[in-house]
Amino acid sequence: MSKSDNLDIQIYNFAYLDENTKRMIRRALLKALCIPGYQVPFSSREMPMPYGWGTGGIQVTSACLIPDDVLKVIDQGADDTTNAVSIRKFFQKTANVAVTEKTSDASIIQTRHRIPETKLKEKQILVYQVPIPEPLRFLEPRETETRKMHALSEYGLMYVKLYEDIAKHGHIETAYAYPVKTNGSYVTDPSPIPKFDNPKMNNNPAIQLFGAGREQRIYAIPPYTNVKSLDFEDYPFEPMKANFKCSICGSSDSYLDEIIVSDDGKRSYICSDTDYCQEQTRLNLKKEDQL
Amino acid sequence: MNQDFLFKVSNISKYYGQNIGCKNVSLDINSGEVLGIVGESGSGKSTLLNCIYGNLEVDEGDIFLKDKSKSILNFTKISEPKLRLIQRSDLAFVHQNPRDGLRMNISAGGNIGERLMAIGHRNYGEIREIASNWLEKVEIDIGRIDDKPSTFSGGMQQRLQIARNLVTRPRLIFMDEPTGGLDVSVQAKILDLLRNLVRELGIAAVIVTHDLAVVRLLADRIIVMQNGNVIEAGLCDQVLDDPQHKYSQLLVSSVLQV
Repeated sequence: MSKSDNLDIQIYNFAYLDENTKRMIRRALLKALCIPGYQVPFSSREMPMPYGWGTGGIQVTSACLIPDDVLKVIDQGADDTTNAVSIRKFFQKTANVAVTEKTSDASIIQTRHRIPETKLKEKQILVYQVPIPEPLRFLEPRETETRKMHALSEYGLMYVKLYEDIAKHGHIETAYAYPVKTNGSYVTDPSPIPKFDNPKMNNNPAIQLFGAGREQRIYAIPPYTNVKSLDFEDYPFEPMKANFKCSICGSSDSYLDEIIVSDDGKRSYICSDTDYCQEQTRLNLKKEDQL
Repeated sequence: MNQDFLFKVSNISKYYGQNIGCKNVSLDINSGEVLGIVGESGSGKSTLLNCIYGNLEVDEGDIFLKDKSKSILNFTKISEPKLRLIQRSDLAFVHQNPRDGLRMNISAGGNIGERLMAIGHRNYGEIREIASNWLEKVEIDIGRIDDKPSTFSGGMQQRLQIARNLVTRPRLIFMDEPTGGLDVSVQAKILDLLRNLVRELGIAAVIVTHDLAVVRLLADRIIVMQNGNVIEAGLCDQVLDDPQHKYSQLLVSSVLQV
């Protein structure tokens, strides 16, 4: 543990979890990286927050953190929402690491429901908070059976879900947690990111780690791994976003949040990735200055 | 030895602890042939069926399967991935209760399409077309393709289950009391349908039933079971018209006449 004047951090081991627990999680992470997309069981700990707040992601981040790390935490793309703020504070307090809102400056990014718009680089780690790691869960409730289906690559059932979507809605309606095939073998749940973000998972230079605390599973996508969204030949996968421009930065290629701005239902669309939005605004101002 | 066999079952036994499931059963299932297994409840019919299908592990004996390339596999010793592959491509299983064989929260089209997607179909238009053709074959209105089986009547559910199983053109279909629990007119309709499909597609079938009328209508050969043993086997008409074993005689004579 690094010495520090901060009294708070001496109460805890570095990054809250004890060293043996972190070791156990790292072993699970290594195994997960060796078998891309495979769900590794791990003995998830009770964390000082409820399930659903990112206990899996926090344990993974905790096991990966070193004192030199620069941490960024986002929730739905934003750095300033409750979940992101409290997790960032948690690690500031227990690990005393540097934090940032800039995607390009971060060495570890913990995320809920988004992949940052700024392209990730080598040596960056993206940690996803995962509520339900099993993509087949709502199709096949038995865990013994889903494990067997993964082991034998019996993924016909996954396509039944997509079939049902088209039969009901005329197109693949699944808009988030859109199943992908990792490295040509395991079908993987990308956590509830919008399917707009799915293409970013493919061939990404960063390490992508997934932690599900309540379900006690860890899985991973190593850098530069092929990640393909499932689809039909005649209904190919299409990323989707609201067809508007960000009303702050004017960007038309980033994922947008819909915000109702008045009582009579007026809507406005803004980038869900706050860091990207600020960066675009700054670039716009710079351009105006040059003119 | 018949060279055209699909399954050759030799001396299999299955025990449930002290109790006998089935004992020293040997039989051949030939391609394109319908075999009936009759007997009272608890006589080991379903056990035998599940043993041959690979759902239950046998305690003694061997089951040989001739696969599509005519090579002979020992079905009791093949690996699980291979067993499951054969089960979903070459074989089919129709349960007595359609709820066991259907996915009740998935549309009729999805139910039929599942086996196609499981063996690698990835074209929505094609899958849907095949599914509609099969609905037509089992006489379900094509307009119901997107309805869930829970909105179907019992007879329709059973017909849907049959379509779902036959869509991949298996070589052998196992049926465990396919018409049990249905009223007689619906039963007759399903039997008629099964007879046509099995003959038309040249699929072999094994039908477990306690209803002698069903085997009389569908089966080429039958075996009669009692207490886990096969007590009589032969051509359907031969066994039903001239039963040799005491129990078979009892069985035949206890059919109600209208």
